[in-house]
Amino acid sequence: MEVRTSDRFPGVEWVGDPGDFIRVDESRCDGCANCVRVCLAECFEIKDRKARVRTLAECMECAACWYVCDKEAIMFSWPPGGTGFRTDWG
Amino acid sequence: MENCDVLVVGAGFGGPVAARKCAEAGLDTVLLERSAIPGEKVVSGLVIPFYGFTFGPDFIREGNPPIERPICKVVNRFVRDGEIYATDSTLRVPKPLALGYAAYCKPFCTWLAGRAVEAGAELRTSTTAVEPILEKGAVRGVVTDRGEEIRCKVLIDAGGTQNRLAIQAGLRRKYLPEALELYMIWDFEMAKEDVDETFGLSMEFFHALPEEGIGAPLGYGSTLYIFTYRESIHPGLGQFLVTRGEIPNLARLLPRYFENFQEKVTRWRRDIAPKVRLRAVTWDVCPIYAGLIPETRNMPICGDGILVIGDAAGFEASAFGDGVPSAWFSAELAADVAIEALRRGDTSRSVLAAYEDKVREHPYITWIITDWRRWDLRKVLVSRSETELRRMIRDHWGIGAFRYRYSGRPLVKALREALRRDPRAPLKWMEMFTRYYHNWEENRFDPVSVPGREIG
Repeated sequence: MEVRTSDRFPGVEWVGDPGDFIRVDESRCDGCANCVRVCLAECFEIKDRKARVRTLAECMECAACWYVCDKEAIMFSWPPGGTGFRTDWG
Repeated sequence: MENCDVLVVGAGFGGPVAARKCAEAGLDTVLLERSAIPGEKVVSGLVIPFYGFTFGPDFIREGNPPIERPICKVVNRFVRDGEIYATDSTLRVPKPLALGYAAYCKPFCTWLAGRAVEAGAELRTSTTAVEPILEKGAVRGVVTDRGEEIRCKVLIDAGGTQNRLAIQAGLRRKYLPEALELYMIWDFEMAKEDVDETFGLSMEFFHALPEEGIGAPLGYGSTLYIFTYRESIHPGLGQFLVTRGEIPNLARLLPRYFENFQEKVTRWRRDIAPKVRLRAVTWDVCPIYAGLIPETRNMPICGDGILVIGDAAGFEASAFGDGVPSAWFSAELAADVAIEALRRGDTSRSVLAAYEDKVREHPYITWIITDWRRWDLRKVLVSRSETELRRMIRDHWGIGAFRYRYSGRPLVKALREALRRDPRAPLKWMEMFTRYYHNWEENRFDPVSVPGREIG
C-alpha cells in the first residue's frame, strides 16, 4: 500500500486509501466553523457558509471535529483496516 | 460468518488484557484491531503510574514489558517571564521503586497483544469493526470492513476514546466536548546520556498563570509536561474542546503555546534545545473529564451481550496516564464477568450488570473518574495567586494528589484488598520494581512480537 508522509508532521505515516471516513452533511451544517477551529490538520474549510472536507491527508483520526459539531453535521467513521494514520512515536 | 465466545474489539492497552484472560479461561476469543500493528494508532505520550502495575494484571507484573524509563521523581516547575521562580520536587521515591514507567504505545501494545495470542486468543489486525450485529437489542457480534460477520456471545468493546460500536448499539452517546481534551505531543530524539544528565529519572511539568502563554487557561487543559524516555523526550500539552463555554481555536493555540515555551522558557532554551532533534508530532483527544460530568459518567458501560472498557467507557482522568491502569483494571473486571456469564449460559444485561458493580467498587477506577478536585485549578484563574497555584498543584494535581487524604483512600483500600488476597504481594511488588529497573538499565525486555507473526 502507498505510504505518505508530511513535512509539517514528521514521524507519522498515512497508509493506503482511507476513503472519505469523515464527511459533512451540508444540510445540517450551519457554518459555525467549530470543526475548523479544533482541527490541527486543517482538514476543513468554510465555503458558502458551509463546512467541507478540504483534505484528510494529515488527519490523525482524533475525531475532535465530530465532538464539537453540535448540529451532528460531521459524520465520523474508522478508515478501513490497515489504512490511515500510523506512528512509532505515540 | 464465524462464531466465537468473546470478541474483543481494540488491541490498545485494555483489549489484549481482556482477551488474554478470556482465552486463559478456555473461551474461544478473537481480538480485532484496525491497525496493521497493535498500538500504531495509539497516541498518548505515556507514563503509566505504578499502581497500574502493582494492582493490575499478574502477567504484566511478572513479564518484562518494553519500558522507556522508570520515573522516580515528579518535578513541578513554576514559570514567570520565562524563568523558573519555584520548583517542587518533593514527590519522589528512591530507585528501584518508581512512581511510573514511561513507554511508547506501539511496542507496549504489541507486547500486550502478543501475550493475548500466547494464551490462545486469535489476533486479527488490519480489521475495522464497522457496525455491531444487533438482534432484539442485544449485541451479537460485528460486521467488519470486508463485510464479514463475526458473531460472539459477548463483545468486549475496547475501541478507545473515539469508539463507535457502543454508540451504534444504542448504549452510549458520543462524549460531550467539555469532557475531552485535545493534546498535542512533540517527540524529540535526545542522547541517553543527555536525558540522564538533564532529567535523570524524573519527568517535568511547567505551570504558569495563563498570561505566560505556555499552556491552556488553568483547569482547562494539561499543563505543559516533558515525559522522559530512554533516548528521547516527549513534551506535550492539551486543552479542552470547550473552554469557558466556547470552542477555542485549538488549531492556532496548541502550536502557539509550544512555540512560546520554546522561545521564552530558559530551561528549554539553555538546557534542552541544544541537545534535541524533533522526530515526530502527533495529537489525539482523550476523555479526561468524562467521569466528572454526570451525563457522561452515567452512560451505561454494559448492555445485552456487550461490556465497554477503558477510554471507550470514560475511564480516564488526569495528566498522569490514569487511562492505562483503568483500562487494565476494567479489562480484567469485564473478562471476569464475561467468563462467569458464559459459564452460566446467560449474557443478558441482567447478568453482565455485575460489571457495573465491580467497577463501582473498584477503588482506583472510581477515584480516577470522580476526583473532582482536579477542577480546583480553575480557582487560580479567579484568584490569580501564584501561591495558590503552587498549593493546588502540590495537593490535587496528577499523582501528587496521593499525598492527601481524599485521594490517598483508594491507595489504602487497594493495598488492603491486595494484602487480603495475597499477603506476599509487597514482596512481589519489590521483585517487580527491582526487575523492571534492571531491565531498563540493561535495555533488555521481552521480545516485542506476536507469536507466529513478523511484526513489532
